[in-house]
Amino acid sequence: MFTKKDSSAVVNFVNYSLGISRRSPTFAVGFSIVGLFLLLAMLADFIAPYSPTQSFSYNVLNPPDGRFLLGSDGNGMDVFSRVLHGCRYAFGISIPAGLIMISIGVPLGLVAGYRGGFIDEVLLRILDVLRSFPTIILALAVVAAMGQSLTSMVLVIGVLDSPIFARVVRAEVLALRSSTFVMAAIAMGNPAWRVMFVHILPNAILGVTAQLPMRMAWAVRISATLAFIGVGIQAPTPEWGAMIRQGAEYVITGEWWVALFPGIALMLLVLGFNLLGDGLSDILDPRRRSVDK
Amino acid sequence: MITTRRSRIIRFLFVRLFVSIPVILGIVFLTFMLIRIGGQDPVAMIAGPVADSAMLSAIRTQLQLDQPLLQQFLNYVLLVSQGDLGVSWQGGIPVLSEIKQLFPATLELVFLSVGLAALIGVPIGMRSAFKPNGWFDQLTRFCSLAGFSMPTYWLGLMAIFVFFYLLRWAPAPMGRLGVDVATPAVVTGSVLIDCLLEGNWNALSSALSHLALPVLCFALLAAAPIIKQTRAIMLEIVGSDYVRYARANGFSKKTIEKIALRNAAGPLLTFLGLELTSLLAAAALIEYIFSLSGLGQWGLNAILLGDFAVVQGYVLTLALSSMLIFMVIDLMVLLLEPRN
Amino acid sequence: MMKKQGSVLTLILIVALNIFPEVWAQEKTLVIAMNSTPKGVDPDIWVPGQIEATVNLYEGLTSYGTRVGSNGKLEVDPGKIQPHLAESWTVSPDGKKYLFKLKHGIRSPFGNELTAQDIVWTYEKSALQKRTGQFMASVGRIEKVEAASKYEVRFQLSDANRIFLGALTLHLPAIFDSVEAKKHASPDDPYAAKWLSLNSAGFGPYHLQSLQSGQQAVFVVNSNYFFKKPYYTKIIWREVPSPATRVALIRTGQVQYAEQIPFQQLTVLRTDPAVKVESVPGFGGATVRMNPRYQPFDKVKVRQAVAYATDYAAISEAVFLGQGTRSRSMLNSPIAGAVNAYKYETDYNKAKQLLTEVGYPNGVDVTLEYSTNWWWEEPLVLQMQASLAKAGIRVTPKKIPSTEMLARRTINVWTVPFLTHLTSSFVPDPSYNMFLTAHCKGSSNVNANCDAAMDKLIDASAIEREEKRWLSLIEQAQNLQADSATFIETFLPGTHEVFAACMKGYLWRPHNRLVWKDLNCSS
Repeated sequence: MFTKKDSSAVVNFVNYSLGISRRSPTFAVGFSIVGLFLLLAMLADFIAPYSPTQSFSYNVLNPPDGRFLLGSDGNGMDVFSRVLHGCRYAFGISIPAGLIMISIGVPLGLVAGYRGGFIDEVLLRILDVLRSFPTIILALAVVAAMGQSLTSMVLVIGVLDSPIFARVVRAEVLALRSSTFVMAAIAMGNPAWRVMFVHILPNAILGVTAQLPMRMAWAVRISATLAFIGVGIQAPTPEWGAMIRQGAEYVITGEWWVALFPGIALMLLVLGFNLLGDGLSDILDPRRRSVDK
Repeated sequence: MITTRRSRIIRFLFVRLFVSIPVILGIVFLTFMLIRIGGQDPVAMIAGPVADSAMLSAIRTQLQLDQPLLQQFLNYVLLVSQGDLGVSWQGGIPVLSEIKQLFPATLELVFLSVGLAALIGVPIGMRSAFKPNGWFDQLTRFCSLAGFSMPTYWLGLMAIFVFFYLLRWAPAPMGRLGVDVATPAVVTGSVLIDCLLEGNWNALSSALSHLALPVLCFALLAAAPIIKQTRAIMLEIVGSDYVRYARANGFSKKTIEKIALRNAAGPLLTFLGLELTSLLAAAALIEYIFSLSGLGQWGLNAILLGDFAVVQGYVLTLALSSMLIFMVIDLMVLLLEPRN
Repeated sequence: MMKKQGSVLTLILIVALNIFPEVWAQEKTLVIAMNSTPKGVDPDIWVPGQIEATVNLYEGLTSYGTRVGSNGKLEVDPGKIQPHLAESWTVSPDGKKYLFKLKHGIRSPFGNELTAQDIVWTYEKSALQKRTGQFMASVGRIEKVEAASKYEVRFQLSDANRIFLGALTLHLPAIFDSVEAKKHASPDDPYAAKWLSLNSAGFGPYHLQSLQSGQQAVFVVNSNYFFKKPYYTKIIWREVPSPATRVALIRTGQVQYAEQIPFQQLTVLRTDPAVKVESVPGFGGATVRMNPRYQPFDKVKVRQAVAYATDYAAISEAVFLGQGTRSRSMLNSPIAGAVNAYKYETDYNKAKQLLTEVGYPNGVDVTLEYSTNWWWEEPLVLQMQASLAKAGIRVTPKKIPSTEMLARRTINVWTVPFLTHLTSSFVPDPSYNMFLTAHCKGSSNVNANCDAAMDKLIDASAIEREEKRWLSLIEQAQNLQADSATFIETFLPGTHEVFAACMKGYLWRPHNRLVWKDLNCSS
């Protein structure tokens, strides 16, 4: 039953959202875009008119028309259905990759920042290696070596980006380590792990939260780039990068729809993630806001 | 101990070089192992389409591929220290000579692109920072994020389609020079520099026009993170104590800008260095689309074909260049630091 | 005074030459956009780009004659082998000894004349390197090559066979200018292999002038070429790795030839007035192969079920856009002796029935592996997946790197159970084709096609000299192959070359590569 308490909760929520939107329109836009794509991904099975891998052998490269809303691709598959299902893959890659990044990067950064010493040195060296090592080449080599599977791609992307999280967390930890409440916690006899996870982590998490959408955007981008080069995605998986790969060739001969729509989808989602991340850091990190206001 | 500026610089260089060696070794080791663990077996490719299994095992032994991995790695390191980077398995061409030929093209592309991107991006980023959340700021933030999101290959193909195919403004994307143009004598390998040295203006203009579109695409994509980072750095500085103090004291806008820029130079240069190194790797796709025959395209192809020596040489080149760039940048920052 | 006269003379000369451009324009340049620059030009060693170059640098003792085809166009007549670098030849009654008389005055770009010694040197080099040249020599059953006199070469064959003369039309074993090549030999490189991999020294129409790996190669006409002078005196070969870029270049007239254009774009290109597409059916067939050493393909009924469950019409439409020719056997015209042996048509009920008979009533799960060697591999695999599913054969497509495919499908390795492959060869001889593809010792046998009866038929046909018996043997072999159903024959993709609109003279040759000397673009 929808009670008065519920309605006031809804009103509060709406006010809160509007408030945030006013403070950071980037966040609002980013959130809406990502939210929309997430919705599309979840509803893909219902909205899509055809199966994304169903080949209409007699309708190869049809321009957009009544039957194929966004046209059909080089294998006679419906572009619209494939773009919709591509959302699922975009999230299916970026969410697990993000989780891997956090589960490796955060503890690593915590320990490195708090304990310092050997682990810190090792982490810094690894960061150095990754800084100098062309990441995309590394991803390419690993995925090429491990074969065309989504799992290997997600793993690689997740592992590759975790040091960046580690660095962010480490920086926060270093800043917080000498703060009063942490000193107090140590003085009160809390064991190290408790100090790290119960006291420091909740405060360090803000930086991570702002960074996460950016990393997810990067995950989507790099998986599309790898698919474009031809590794990581097995046909006929409806992944946007793979679709652009096929479609890119056809632009020159005027069959523009095959590459354009997945390209737009890719751009929008990555943009959305970036806006979301930007907006989050706007909201969560007061120093970055204007000085004059 | 009196630390003069000069001794500090020398010490810095020494430490840097010393620290770089394990990092480079680590990278080479990583690449070496990575490319061998997959199912890539280049022996059949080398033997050709009419090989039989006897020939295959003969070639495998000849290339030492049947030895334990660690042994192969040590052999490789030994050869590299003598300057031998091995040969490509597609035709036996020495890797080092290919690098010498192809790397300058990539360097041309990347330096020009980063230069252009910085020229566009830094002023825009600065302007954004001085009036944060104003309409200009919002617009540039949006545009730069859009630039972030666009795939390189996408922009390149679109650019070819529009500016070459439809409008015929750009020259044919089939190499660094036009077909009728005499190639300059090879001195550095970089067509631009060689043309300048020779005074070959015809070739120079042809080379520049062929680089125009790829550099433009690449620069647009590189400008996005530069704008963002410049803005972030400048915001940090503008909000800092000494700038607020200067403002409170009524210094002119120009002076404040100068102070801000002076302090921003360090972090900005560091970031530009990072951009350079990441672009060195990302150049591969632009080179592929525009047929610029650079290092990236060659390395990319080698990874897909399992041409081990080439991939190792490629990664080594990139890693060494990155190290060098970081070292130079850090040195410049060190020199610029007012306290030094 | 003298100086002034000199400069006036120069001025007159410049003006004159500009008014009469024909004086300058002796040079006709062909600009071609290719996938990669040749990584080597030694025909014995296969590397990317090599064959496309060497078919224009080296020529053989014999060549194929031409005839006017059914469409009124000039085409190669595989039944007619005529002398080329040779003047004539005689053959011993047992068919094992050939004596070739060379034409006099055939010179290389270096000015050296072709002699029997060059031929002998060539075969020695191939024998030492033990690569493609050696293989081709063995295919023709060549046992010994020796010079009988300055212009006479004797070939000793181990068996009389029909392939020998056809094999001699090829550009390999390449007939080198050994006089020039020997100048670059060294004690541990007695046949100048190193020099010959980056330089050309032959008697063909063109000669490699310069090679910038990764960028371009320049070929110039052999000024001493014995036969008709080619129209194009200079070929500029540019590396353009992106197919989309190649299409843009040919459509805007920046190049006059672009190789490996994606099939689906040919439809649009055919309607583009600036472009001319020359299409030839060729005789290479797109096939899907099954390795009988792996389950479930060890049972012939399973293989036949796959043949019945293939939707040939859909493949024709979706993959080959209605432009492919249906493959009717492992041998197709213009190869002599090709018959309609492959009688399978789409019949899902039959397929299901066959599967049930051998114990797969609920269908079976298989993985179809393919690579990036040919453009049609992936679309064909996807169509197979869709079609075979209707008979309960659940296909998982799997793309593997081309090096892995090469490694695993090699003769005697044979670890790919279910794969795509193009049946093709350099020589349109039926015995040779069948040997390559379906014989247990064939180097293009990629799916462990080892059947003793088949091998016997093929071996017999190779040395059969009586026409009727020969044709009968070939027919039997084709029928046997079709019944065993280890190959799923789909379509001949054909060869489609894309030129600038003015291009004339294109002639397809069995090695399936572009021969520059035929082309001309005079209006």
